Amino acid sequence: MIIELRDIRKSFSGTEVLSGINLAVKGGEVVALVGENGAGKSTLTRIISGAHAPDGGSIVIDGAEVDLKHPQDAMDLGIHVIYQEFLHNIFPQLTVAENLFTLDKSAEFGRLFVNKKKMSRQARTVMETIGLHADPNALAQTLSVAELQMLEIVKSLGHNIRMLILDEPTAALDEQESERLFEQVASLRGAGICVVYISHRLEEVFRISDRVVVLRNGKVALEGRTEQLTERDVVSAMVGREVDDFYPKERHTRDEVVLSVRGAGSGDRFSDIDLEVHAGEVLGIGGVFGCGKGDVLRALFGLLPLTGGEVFLAGQRLPVTNPQGAIAAGIAYITPDRQAEGLCLQQSVSDNISLASLHSFSPTGLMQRRPEMTSTEEVISGLRIRTPSPGTDVGHLSGGNQQKVLFGRWVLTKPKLLLMEEPTRGVDIGAKTEIYRIINEQAAQGVAVILVSSDLPELVAMSDRVVVMRQGGLVAELRGADLNQQKLLEHALESSV
Amino acid sequence: MNASFLKLSRELRAIWMLLLVSVILFIATPLFLTGPNLLNVLLASSVTVLLASGQTFVILLGEIDLSVGAVLALSGTTTAIVLQSQPLAVGLAAGLGVGALGGLINGLLVTKLRMPSFIATLASTSAFAGLALFITQGNPVGVKNAGFLAIGQGRPLTVPMPVWIILIVVAAFGFLLARTRFGRYIYATGDNPEASRLSGIKVHRTTILAFVISGVLASLAGFVLTARLGTAQPTAGNGLELAAIAAVIIGGTSLAGGRGALIGTFIGAILLGVIDNGLNLLDVSPFLQGVVKGLVILFAVFLDRNSDLIRGLWQLVRPARKQATPTRNIDDGPANGSPDPQVPTPSIVIRK
Repeated sequence: MIIELRDIRKSFSGTEVLSGINLAVKGGEVVALVGENGAGKSTLTRIISGAHAPDGGSIVIDGAEVDLKHPQDAMDLGIHVIYQEFLHNIFPQLTVAENLFTLDKSAEFGRLFVNKKKMSRQARTVMETIGLHADPNALAQTLSVAELQMLEIVKSLGHNIRMLILDEPTAALDEQESERLFEQVASLRGAGICVVYISHRLEEVFRISDRVVVLRNGKVALEGRTEQLTERDVVSAMVGREVDDFYPKERHTRDEVVLSVRGAGSGDRFSDIDLEVHAGEVLGIGGVFGCGKGDVLRALFGLLPLTGGEVFLAGQRLPVTNPQGAIAAGIAYITPDRQAEGLCLQQSVSDNISLASLHSFSPTGLMQRRPEMTSTEEVISGLRIRTPSPGTDVGHLSGGNQQKVLFGRWVLTKPKLLLMEEPTRGVDIGAKTEIYRIINEQAAQGVAVILVSSDLPELVAMSDRVVVMRQGGLVAELRGADLNQQKLLEHALESSV
Repeated sequence: MNASFLKLSRELRAIWMLLLVSVILFIATPLFLTGPNLLNVLLASSVTVLLASGQTFVILLGEIDLSVGAVLALSGTTTAIVLQSQPLAVGLAAGLGVGALGGLINGLLVTKLRMPSFIATLASTSAFAGLALFITQGNPVGVKNAGFLAIGQGRPLTVPMPVWIILIVVAAFGFLLARTRFGRYIYATGDNPEASRLSGIKVHRTTILAFVISGVLASLAGFVLTARLGTAQPTAGNGLELAAIAAVIIGGTSLAGGRGALIGTFIGAILLGVIDNGLNLLDVSPFLQGVVKGLVILFAVFLDRNSDLIRGLWQLVRPARKQATPTRNIDDGPANGSPDPQVPTPSIVIRK
């Protein structure tokens, strides 16, 4: 099987995410698809799998153009995707066997009544083929994440598979589980299946792929045989030449200390944290998923109880126990998930911006709409939020502008300390730069900023100083020449020296 | 005519339904469009308006209050019993207190005990209705207090007192929703409780207050009903919560919360009142009236949910007239062309 993508284009909300992708993958080949967040990998995946229709271009399989209107169309052609969020595809309350054979189209296990014995016997057989030793009658929720991922792969194998796309498959796996996965990838390749492997982890990419395709800004930036490339080639293709101007970092650190944290801990999430952030300084917190970096922010904002230690803000000892207290003390928190815990999507841009400052616009309880309007319009123009009007529902804006609205809400509270977690997640490149500009402006005004980001280049470039956390504790502080991605990763990962 | 009328905000869409029904009734019977009859419609709708106004606060939060009918009955009977031995003020305070307490209990169940409001208020309905039966031993309680009866039967400036009451309530609570900080809290919390909490809003307090408002307005409805009839019936509230919820939904308030306005609810309740009135004027069998009302409710909600389809049909039936100006379809969303993720683009327009 050869699948060819010809000049694939796709835009969302007027932003071009894919601008003319040409790519061919053939059976028995492992192609690694790499690129930074927002480079277009997921969109491309969704187009191949029929979840999105391309705006332009064609998909050609074995010489014949296909029209994938629906994921089911792609599956019928043998194209399967294991998404990073594959857990959404699992029915936790059903058994492993039932999960495997949800779509029993040929009524193999009976038309009206299900032959559970036969189903579980067959489930065991297919699972054995890739070395998954799970009880077919156990509920899916009792399996580990790695086992569930294997289960997803088994599921796709059952359907005349010809192409398998793995999206960040090792994100949730430990080393041993990853090894098992690599073996599976190798055996799929041996069976003549096209494998597209999406990963941020370059060492994996170089280990298992035959070919590397780098996406940047919706275009193929580099394509080549893996053995002819070096990690450096791939990284520079991912980042692009404009890496220096992309992060418009300014230095505004002043002497005065805004936040000082001593020996802070919160249950078993983190412990013994000492931090000091100066006015105008951007302190980055690095570390792998689950190291407790986000929990530190949530505790500072009063969302998690501090079980030990002290927090001083501008010299005042703080007992912050809830968001109201945090806001009153001058702390702002930009949450990582702007839709779930950030914005009220059905409310207007203006109402969203004033949401955390309502008291200052309603001293008596009545809203004073003119001052509110003036302030929110200032924020809209100051942060360059592109909206048809202040009264437009936030849900109508693009992701980048939604994120700027969230920034606007907290900028309007005139915080002393601005906490932000994943401030540019799911935001296009243009909006990213504008968000960095907002961070610079806040720092220039003397706001102390704590930046938590899993986007390493961003964290390194935008921070004046980075502390690294591992398993709920601080393990390093990097500044100056030591502040680079390599050093940060070394400290963040336990196994490294 | 111009397509801009279709832009009418969803809270006011019920107006078209109201106009449609009114025009039909105007043609069908000369009795409909007369001053006394219209006042009669308002008077007959007053209980629904009061219940639905409180219900609006709760539904805006994405919750529901099934107990308003039972609260109405409990506060009506409580007041009637208290008035047998106490002056008017004490009776009113007792009734309002019952309503507020009922709402407080509902609010606490939903927030502090984290019960789904459907279940919590279903259970409290049973309890409140049972209490009303218990304190009256199942018998109606007569009211003699002239001051109290004036609440239902007085006619200052020839307009019945309940009509004054609903106009004041809708204006006051509409203002509360639209122009106060508390109103903002309601919309924000109904839209996204977690985001609201992280913005410093006391989400639990907001929710509890909304249920208390619902309870207090239900007890006010209890006064109106009791005073109009001259007796408090322990079963007076049965089924009234459904009319109230229907009025809120017809009025364009989203069951998912965060969207709606009190004026829409008011129109929705009046629409239900007009339908009742019309069916009576047209002498439709009372046994059939429920069927007709059900159909009208379905149709109103259908119009609301399928406004894109209707707009599409509208574009189809008059393609020739406006071709000259390259009109931007109003579904194209805001000027920068970003599509509205909530509203799917109507396929019927595109495929034409």
